[in-house]
Amino acid sequence: MKGGIRLFYSRLLRVKEIGSLSGLLIIIIIFSLLSGKFLTRENFIGIFTITSELGIIAIGVCFLMIAGEFDLSVGSVFAVAPMIGALLGKIGVPMVGAFFVSLFASAVIGYFNGLIVIKTGIPSFIVTLGAMMFYRGVLLAVSGGFTITFMGEDTAFLDALGGKIFMGMRASGIWFIAATIIFSIVLNNTKYGNHVFAVGGNPGTAKALGINVNRVKLINFVLCSVMAGLAGFTMFGRFHSIDPTAGSLHELEAIASAVIGGALLTGGYGSIVGAFIGAFLIGVMRSGLILAGAPSYWYQGFIGVVLVISVIINTKIRKAVAG
Amino acid sequence: MTGAASITQEERDKKIREYLVYMENVTVRFGKVVALRDVNFSVKKNEVVGLLGDNGAGKSTLIKALNGYHQVDGGEIYFNGERTNFQSPRDARDVGIETAYQDLALVNLMSISRNFFLGRELVMGNRFFKFLDKRKMDEVAAHSLAEVGLRNIREMHETVNFLSGGERQAIAIGRASYFGAKLLILDEPTAALSVAETEWVLRLVSEAKEKGLSVIIITHNAYEAYEVSDRFVVLQHGKNYADLKREETNAKELIEVIAGRK
Ligand SMILES: Nc1ncnc2c1ncn2[C@@H]1O[C@H](COP(=O)(O)OP(=O)(O)OP(=O)(O)O)[C@@H](O)[C@H]1O
Ligand SMILES: [Mg+2]
Repeated sequence: MKGGIRLFYSRLLRVKEIGSLSGLLIIIIIFSLLSGKFLTRENFIGIFTITSELGIIAIGVCFLMIAGEFDLSVGSVFAVAPMIGALLGKIGVPMVGAFFVSLFASAVIGYFNGLIVIKTGIPSFIVTLGAMMFYRGVLLAVSGGFTITFMGEDTAFLDALGGKIFMGMRASGIWFIAATIIFSIVLNNTKYGNHVFAVGGNPGTAKALGINVNRVKLINFVLCSVMAGLAGFTMFGRFHSIDPTAGSLHELEAIASAVIGGALLTGGYGSIVGAFIGAFLIGVMRSGLILAGAPSYWYQGFIGVVLVISVIINTKIRKAVAG
Repeated sequence: MTGAASITQEERDKKIREYLVYMENVTVRFGKVVALRDVNFSVKKNEVVGLLGDNGAGKSTLIKALNGYHQVDGGEIYFNGERTNFQSPRDARDVGIETAYQDLALVNLMSISRNFFLGRELVMGNRFFKFLDKRKMDEVAAHSLAEVGLRNIREMHETVNFLSGGERQAIAIGRASYFGAKLLILDEPTAALSVAETEWVLRLVSEAKEKGLSVIIITHNAYEAYEVSDRFVVLQHGKNYADLKREETNAKELIEVIAGRK
């Protein structure tokens, strides 16, 4: 019997998301006790909307982190993509077309991030920090710092991306869930996913066994950036306007989501479902603190604490099950 | 010793045609360091070659130049009669060259079976969607590792981080021998092994030879090398130093040669 319990316990620890999931539950319980309005359907739908935009970014960031690289420019891309969409829409380009042009532009940004990292060997942290500042600067210059609003009639497509679908739930939530499922399957159940783990875990070994390390990294940079562009577009779908400062700090929150979800900063380990939970946890904290009546300043501080605690717990669990 | 210049064109063509591996005047540089300078190296079909030399002599670099891990800065490499242009070890694996590396064997945070099949994953599904056949990979890995004596490992899902040095090495060797079709390269396979495990590796080399494979075995242990090899190539400071047939020498002499005293 005792052996059975121990086996169950060790199996449970082996679930990569166990740390973040327990954290999420604890925080939900705390906030439900603090505010009666917290544990309501409306509130959770609201949380999920905020979470979706951050979460879609976090999935891409997590996927790239597992391959051993960072992308700090996702917050800027999050605004660049819809900005391109809005500007194209303004001159009469159909929204569907504008959407794909924007995603393509996001892909190109990701491609250049990856290319510079691979060709120069400069850490991606620095390269994408530069990219983050550069594209944010371009955004502010192009928009003059003002919010750009899309006045077109053609909003059906935008609604499909970020509009309300049922019970106040927004379409972005569907994209978030779909992306989580797809990326999770690719990561855990395909050849490519196996290569992603290997490239992040030990690029030398990956190369020695015939995996094209640079190609994997490049693809992941592109995917990460496209996800950020997609997330930006779902926000555009929600507001039909785009503020050139949108997405600031999303890069750090996305990394925080991935890390809370168990991803290793050094690559080779992580979970997409974990990043999903991590993003959700951040959304829960934001909403819970507001409902609990805490001044909004507390939000950041609170996330910081949760981030560090979760890394401590995740590290302990990982050391126990994966070494 | 014998340079490429000292043989006639016909002899050279014949060697290229008949040998499994023919490397000629291979040079590899790392920045200013010349790791290999005009090295000649060959392996006949069904031959076991012991590649010897002191630390830093260039042994690992030579086999990495052969299997496409490093690109050469000079020289030509032929495999099975054809000039190779391996851009990556993937190309070498595709033609039947498997390597158990000294330093790059496994990804620590990945499971045993994922490591075993890294770069050679088994998939199932249709033309559009292919998924890892995890069950099959676990089965095959468990089976092959049991065959190579790793019977204590039950969980193919466990990460290799928890394994001992010998077990890790055994996985790398087991993998190479499982996939190796023509040439098996073992870079210091016995460095982390116990006496019994070392015997297992040497037996594996003999079995590979019986199956018709060629083997390159790198080791610092002249006795081990002498036990299984048909021929010995000794490198020193990135250059050819000696090339001895088994009949011409013995383990004691090999030690002297490796140390550069002979
Ligand atoms: N990637 C690299 N970058 C720079 N120098 C390298 C690299 N790989 C090897 N060298 C250098 O090339 C030389 C030969 O190294 P190599 O690893 O081939 O030696 P070795 O014969 O395998 O030695 P050992 O028995 O210690 O494994 C050494 O001087 C080494 O420092
Ligand atoms: Mg070596």
